[in-house]
Amino acid sequence: MAAEITLLFSGLPASADKFAFGMTTVALLRVEGRIVVFDTGPYAYRPILLNRLRRLGVEPAEVDTVILSHLHWDSASNADIFSKADIVVHERELAYAGAPDSRDRSVPGYIGRAIRKLRLKTVSGETELAPGLRILELPGHTPGSIGLLSEDVLLAGDAVTCAKDAVAKTPSAFCVDPAQAARSLTRALEARIVYPGHDRPFFVGPPVAYVSDYTLRIRLFFDPAGQDEELRFGGAAAKSFATWPDD
Amino acid sequence: MRVDLLIPGLPAKADHFLFGICSLLLLRDETRTVLFDTGPFRVRQTLLGALKAHGLTPDSIDTVFVTHLHWDHVENLDLFPKAEILVPRSEFDYAAAIRPGDWGTPPFVREILADMRVTLLEDKEQDLFPGVRTLTLPGHSIGLQGLVVEAEGERLVLASDGLWSARDAVRGVPDVAFFDRLQGQQSLDKALAAGTIFYPGHDRPFRFDGGRVTYLTQYDFDLRFSFQPYGQDLTTSISTRGAAAEA
Repeated sequence: MAAEITLLFSGLPASADKFAFGMTTVALLRVEGRIVVFDTGPYAYRPILLNRLRRLGVEPAEVDTVILSHLHWDSASNADIFSKADIVVHERELAYAGAPDSRDRSVPGYIGRAIRKLRLKTVSGETELAPGLRILELPGHTPGSIGLLSEDVLLAGDAVTCAKDAVAKTPSAFCVDPAQAARSLTRALEARIVYPGHDRPFFVGPPVAYVSDYTLRIRLFFDPAGQDEELRFGGAAAKSFATWPDD
Repeated sequence: MRVDLLIPGLPAKADHFLFGICSLLLLRDETRTVLFDTGPFRVRQTLLGALKAHGLTPDSIDTVFVTHLHWDHVENLDLFPKAEILVPRSEFDYAAAIRPGDWGTPPFVREILADMRVTLLEDKEQDLFPGVRTLTLPGHSIGLQGLVVEAEGERLVLASDGLWSARDAVRGVPDVAFFDRLQGQQSLDKALAAGTIFYPGHDRPFRFDGGRVTYLTQYDFDLRFSFQPYGQDLTTSISTRGAAAEA
């Protein structure tokens, strides 16, 4: 039976000069009565993540399994809200979090220590989580990066950060082992649909094509006595001429 | 002590994540180098760059003053393992028994502080360094403390989230008094009466005179979105300069 996948957070391929967005894809899967969460995002997601779960009618304590694609700050900072779940991490990633590559600035020491206090279930290879649901080893971005394959749909973590990387066939993010990361990217793109770590899900194609639309709204103010400014950033999917302009 | 702005707070919210970019300050005299708050993980590289621009490395920081233990003020504490970390005692105690539904304080914050050189500050106003006095500002969180610094004949109020933004000063009402609204109101009133120049938690420093805000600095952020796998990236900026020109 295929897993039903719900996006809790769509990743976004965004960057800025003075801060990191860290907008990571977080997905909820229901398979054979079990609830699986793939990645948990940065701490900056926490109240929104809790709200979105509530809206889906899911109590955090009902989640059976949390899979952490890797232990970067923007993927693994909310695992603790799932108090009854098995937290699945690759054993190489857990070891890596205690002694990360000095060039990798995305693994604060406390993440590994906090994760170790949870109900950890380390994996050392590729395993079947449920029928048709398989953990894939996709190392390179970090030594213990993993993805989750549900039939022909892959939740890739940062083995595929964005659709642009799928077109370029080259990883654009920092990789601890670039050659290994390139092999993992190639393998990840054997899937039909990829949920990348920092972008909307897309059909691998060719051509690479997004599955859904996206908007990000940012509100801020420059004048404390004035109105909020609202900025809207959209990544609309390619539209068909056949339906334009009615959609 | 001299106060330098390392990173201005940003009064921004988004629909998919919290920004959490708070004001990070540097306080220095002949004998001490003090960091005021450490910010969310997303500004880690910017913080390191700002320290470097002042000729400093994390190891040059001998004291970190942590106003309160919300996620967006503590995620970079681990960069300062050699420093003395000053934390309000009530915040530290609270972090071991967080009120249900309070997502502001990470449950793993005591893990962040584990093995650090923590000195707890009692819940009272006291001289910390020459010309620097603590200011108790509860309400946003259980035991937030700011600082009042006497410098160049002025009183600088380093209020952190006791004064979230300049809008709180204009309206005279705290926008983000999560923990206790009444206390938050009293703390805002107290902060506004404590000096002439204000460093809010999530906005630029400003002078407040006769109900009017005059900002003391500008900021610019360049943003980049890779929305089109086959096309150009979208670039844009968030800048206070245009707004200042219009005013």
